[in-house]
Parts: sequence; C-alpha cells; structure tokens
Amino acid sequence: MEQAENNRLECAGDTECDTRASLRQGLLDEIKRLRRFSNRGLWALSLFLFVSTLAWREFSFLPRPEKIVAALGAPPSSKIIGMVLILYTFSAIILSLSRMMAGIRHKSSFCHVGYLSVFYLFYYFAEALADNYWAVFGAGLTILCMESYRIWTFCNENIGKKVEQLAFLDRTGRLPPEDPLSE
Amino acid sequence: MFDKIAGRALVPVGIVVTGFLVVCFVLLYAAIKNVVIHDSVGHANNLAGIVLKSTRYAMLKSDRDLNSTIIRNISEQEGVEHVRIFSKKGIVAFSSKPGEVNRQVDTKAEGCIVCHEKQEPMTTLGNMQKARTFKNSLGKEVLAITAPIYNEPECANAACHVHPASQKVLGILDIGLSQEATLSSLSSIKMQMVLFSLLTLILTTAGVIALIKLSVLVPMQKLQEYTERSEHNSNLKHPANLPYELDKIAKSYYFIRNKLHEIEKKS
Repeated sequence: MEQAENNRLECAGDTECDTRASLRQGLLDEIKRLRRFSNRGLWALSLFLFVSTLAWREFSFLPRPEKIVAALGAPPSSKIIGMVLILYTFSAIILSLSRMMAGIRHKSSFCHVGYLSVFYLFYYFAEALADNYWAVFGAGLTILCMESYRIWTFCNENIGKKVEQLAFLDRTGRLPPEDPLSE
Repeated sequence: MFDKIAGRALVPVGIVVTGFLVVCFVLLYAAIKNVVIHDSVGHANNLAGIVLKSTRYAMLKSDRDLNSTIIRNISEQEGVEHVRIFSKKGIVAFSSKPGEVNRQVDTKAEGCIVCHEKQEPMTTLGNMQKARTFKNSLGKEVLAITAPIYNEPECANAACHVHPASQKVLGILDIGLSQEATLSSLSSIKMQMVLFSLLTLILTTAGVIALIKLSVLVPMQKLQEYTERSEHNSNLKHPANLPYELDKIAKSYYFIRNKLHEIEKKS
C-alpha cells in the first residue's frame, strides 16, 4: 500500500509520467543549447585571430593593392577609415553593454568578425595596414571579449535558472510558476 | 572571479576602457605620423627646388666645375645623404660621390620606376609621388626626392647646347635626406602618447574601482558581515551609514530576524 502511495506521488498515471519526462527532456535540451551557445563568443574570437594572422601577413594570397585600385578605383583615405573604425568600436561597445544590461539573447559575435575583416581589407587597399593593424586588432579584441563575456554571463544565468526548474520539476512533478520580476 | 560583484563590475569596465584607449592611441599616432611624413616630404621637395634653382645658372652657362662645386657643397650639409643629377638618358651627370659620374641607371630602379613604369614616361609628378624611402648601405633611413628638371625657354634658346623646345624634361635631380631627425621626433611623440595613455588608463580604472568599492563593495561587505553575525546573535543592530537601497535591505533583515526571534521565544 505504501509503495502504491509512493507510486501515486511519483507519477500519477502514464500521461503525467510522459509529461514530466518530456518537460525534463525539454529543460535538459535547453541547458545543452545554452552550453553550446555560451562558446559562441570564443569561436568568433578564434576566427578573428585567424583573420588577424592573415592580415599580419599582409594578405599574401590577395592581389597587390595597386591592381585592386586600378580595377575598382581609389579606396577611402586611412583618416576616413580610422574615423569610421572609432565610430564602429564605440557603437559596438555601447550596443553590447546595453544588451548585457537588458539580458537579451543576441547572436551577434560573427558579424563583428565580418566587419573587422572589412576594416583590415580597406586598410590593405589603402596601403596603410602596417600603421593601423593594431587599431583594428585592439578594436576587435575589445568588442569580441565584451560579446564573449555578455553571452557567457547570459548563458550561465539561464543555465542556473533551468537547473533550478529541473530540481523543482523533480521535487514536485511540475514547472515552477514564472517569476514576474524576471521579465 | 565572476561570482562576485567586483569581478562582474570591474572586468568589463577594464576591457572596454583599455581596448578603446588602445584603438584611439594607435589611430591618433598613425594620423600624426602621416602628417609628420607629409610635412617631411614637403620640406624635402622644397629643398630639391632650392637645389635646382641654385644650379640653374651654372647649367645655363654649362659650367660643369661650378655645378660640381655646388652639388659637393650641398652634399656636405648635415642631413644630406646624396645629391645626383641625371641626364634625360639616365646617365649620372653630377654626383656628390665622384665614382657615380657617367654611370647608367636602370629605368626599373626604385626612384625611376614611378615615371618609367609605362611605355610613355610621365612628365609631371605630385609631391608624394616624387618621394621614396629606403635604407642606405649604412642602415640609415633615407628620404629621397626625384625632381624633374623641366625645359624652359632660356634653356631651349641657350647658346651652350641645344635642347629642342619639344623636350619637356632635361634631366632629374635625385636628393637623399636623412630621416634620423624625423624618426627621432616620431619616437618622442610615441613615447609621450604611450605615457599619456597609460596615465589616463590608470586614472580611469583606479577611479572606477575606487568609486565602485566605496559605493557598492564596502557597504555590501558590511551587510554580508551583519547577516553572518546576526545568525549567532539576533540582537545585533543593523549597520548604519549604508546607501539607501542596502539600508532598506538591512532594516528589513533586522525586522525579520526580530520577528523570528519573538516567534521562537513564544513557542
């Protein structure tokens, strides 16, 4: 009789067992997705370091800047590129900080790698890469470190919440009510 | 480190301030270097123009000795690495190094390729196009200016030797100037900017750390110690002089502890 009572408490019917199992699996899948997502920033940083290595070698696999200039016309001056770089760095940092404060899940890391690669290329075509390499590298490292940190703290926080929900589910057989303060 | 407020508050601030400062420093230095080099090339072009004007009379009178003396005197000036005058055919007519005279120069050589790249040589050059930098045999950085000697009516009509009026360029002046002073100035500017950036970084980071520690971390520490001590002594009074929000938390905690203590006493 005691065992039957326990069984009732643990799982009243196959339907409830299935519901609990599916909720549990859903939470575990979400935790897995968050763990994978938390590494996104590091992958983007690795890709940026790879592009920076190519830029350090002056993009030896690309045609010489003179040929590109002859085909496409003169690139913007290094002064203009520098001003745009400062504007971009400032905007990207502000955006990252505001997303951090709002706790938004935003997959923005790889687009920054694209933007920074374009800056490297513009400097290469303007034949000013040697003088301005460290500016682009510093900007990229700052922005991508911020993005990695933002994504990592977002994922850690949400993994913690999911683990708590999982514990609650195991204890009570249902999900906890949503916290109105967390919205 | 990221479990504590100190880690979460200070690490992003440190990354952002350092990174942005580094970017601004590098771009500013690159811009200043560009301006300094442009000025340096401008002055070098002026100097080339002065040399051409100095030798003009001697060339008009076809006085080779006078021309050689002028070239030699100019090359003895501190900061001048070499002075050469080529004829239109690329033969060295005058040089600060006597051994170079009558030598033929290849049109594909560094100073010559700018004009002779295409089949039809260029006859006019911008200031920056006339300039090139290289390291000489002593390892010194040299800025060389290649200035065309243009044909003028006095030259075409001179009695010494005939240059047809259709010939636009009579020869080339090649003057090399030491870049030691310019590089030394750039190095000095760089060191001053590095020092300024470091001071700004230290001041900003120290300021932010000090403010956060004073306003947030120390009061949080007081509150934490109060909650830990009041577990063993429920009569402990909450700390005074906390910021408004933490003071509210401390007072609420004190109230709850007192209520709990009363309930425990009654039961």
